[in-house]
Amino acid sequence: MAKKLMKGNEAIGEAAIQAGVRNYFCYPITPQSEVAEYLAKRMPEVGGMFLQGESELAVGNMIFGAAATGERVFTTSSSPGISLMQEAISYIAGAQLPAVFANIVRGGPGLGGILPAQSDYFQSVKGGGHGDYKMLVLAPSTVQEAVDLMMIAFDLADKYTNPVMIIGDGMIGQMMEPVEFKKPPPMALPPKKWAANGCKGRDPVIIRSLFLDPLRLEQNNRELFVKYRRMQAEEVRFERYNVEKGNKVLIVAYGTTARICKTVIADFKARGINVGLLRPISLYPFPMAAVAEAAEGVKAVLSVEMSMGQMVEDVERSVLGRAPVGFFGRVGGVVPTPEEITVEIEKLL
Amino acid sequence: MIGLEKGVTLITGNYGSGKTEVAVNLAGLLASRGEKVTLADLDIMNPYFRCRKAAAELEALGVRVIIPREGYFFADLPIVLPEIRGAIQRRDSVFIGDVGGDDTGARILGSFADVLARNPYKLLMVINANRPFTDTVDGCLGMMDEIEASSKLAIGGIAANTHLMDETDADVVRHGFRLAAEVAEIRGIPIVLVAVAASLARELRDEPFADRLLPIERTMLPPWRRREGTGPGMFKIRQIAEL
Repeated sequence: MAKKLMKGNEAIGEAAIQAGVRNYFCYPITPQSEVAEYLAKRMPEVGGMFLQGESELAVGNMIFGAAATGERVFTTSSSPGISLMQEAISYIAGAQLPAVFANIVRGGPGLGGILPAQSDYFQSVKGGGHGDYKMLVLAPSTVQEAVDLMMIAFDLADKYTNPVMIIGDGMIGQMMEPVEFKKPPPMALPPKKWAANGCKGRDPVIIRSLFLDPLRLEQNNRELFVKYRRMQAEEVRFERYNVEKGNKVLIVAYGTTARICKTVIADFKARGINVGLLRPISLYPFPMAAVAEAAEGVKAVLSVEMSMGQMVEDVERSVLGRAPVGFFGRVGGVVPTPEEITVEIEKLL
Repeated sequence: MIGLEKGVTLITGNYGSGKTEVAVNLAGLLASRGEKVTLADLDIMNPYFRCRKAAAELEALGVRVIIPREGYFFADLPIVLPEIRGAIQRRDSVFIGDVGGDDTGARILGSFADVLARNPYKLLMVINANRPFTDTVDGCLGMMDEIEASSKLAIGGIAANTHLMDETDADVVRHGFRLAAEVAEIRGIPIVLVAVAASLARELRDEPFADRLLPIERTMLPPWRRREGTGPGMFKIRQIAEL
């Protein structure tokens, strides 16, 4: 298939179709509404279903119900809408069902603004809903990577019977880049014996997150954490960019921010100063060992984010005192410029 | 370009077809040739990449840029400024309207139907043959029908704008021109301009469409990209003979 020029939001929609999704429910919100617009046109062409819920609260629970049938289900939203879905996400994690959510993040808190932000890191990585649960959280930094991660997100959701979140700042959703859709290598997936898809000829299955017997609930939580430990062992994803011995500073940044940092790194290289970038692709599980290794021998580590300082806590947790950890962020929809980041790095040299 | 030097030009197309870059660069080119130009933001759809961003540079060239100001600059609201009606009716300058995407964005033009009925206008459809929904002749025709139905106006010309961002080469432009030419023939309307990255213009100077090239300097770049030659000088007059 020839390359197409697509907006991140359109590409995320098409990737869902290519990944076999035929159930997409959504409530529109800037800056992700083009996903809904695209899939409203495309879903009927492939015999799929796009249904606009009356709110994100409804959509979250539509996803919960549809996921219980074992079908691939998908929704997209932006920060305030994802907040409204947190109850359903907690239920889906507790009931151990696969579903994929994409959050095209805008500035908060509250209604905030409509421009790009990365201030939903805590919400997605630390559990925005109640109870002991985790989501697999994947953060693309290009439109092509958004497509590639979308193509595996549904397999990962099925593999772990767990919600997976694709998190992109507003820029990832809104910008256009050339993309192609490549089928990833097939993943060995467990049969969906848990699916409530008709019990003719077999015992009924019951899907629930309610366990009134405390020992049974504790057992369910322990099962979840066996899966999360497996994710930590098998699903850590990151990119090392210019990470080598002799790095003066290590930057940790993800998504759009990481791309800006690459421009900065090229400038420093031209000046003979070696700066490395560790770009987490999986925000949960966080690439702790890779960050720790890359931080060996540097003068300082700098976490650059479009937040007031969220991922920096995981960076500190990973670096564990090997080097001082600094933070630079812009918020509210303001995107840090290469010049600003350069100044911050110069302070650390 | 053909016949865009005077009067009212309204630029429509599907989402991401490149309407804003075409509008901004057309305004810049005409202004640098000494024309009196007004550029109006009629995009009620997309708050992210809009001609508002290029306003300062265009104003330095003497272009009158009509955009929401100050507190409304970033508003996620369908704002259409009242002075646009007046600007359309001025006969002493070129009016370029940057309209929002798809039939939904073109709906705004219906509200100017009375003014446009009294003032000659050209409604252009920007086509990028690498975009979803306009990558086939049928897709383009369908999009044109939808835009005409919602704007209550007739599309009078095509602006071919086929590219793949940084991965564009001359063949990409040629492919886009061929698709646009098929659409133009079926509809009986001209291709009035072929937009190409300024860096590709020289390579395309012997093409049959060389008389219609609009060299594009991207004004809306992501934050990790720096633009070369930033500033009012970017819209230099590029006569094809000089390329």
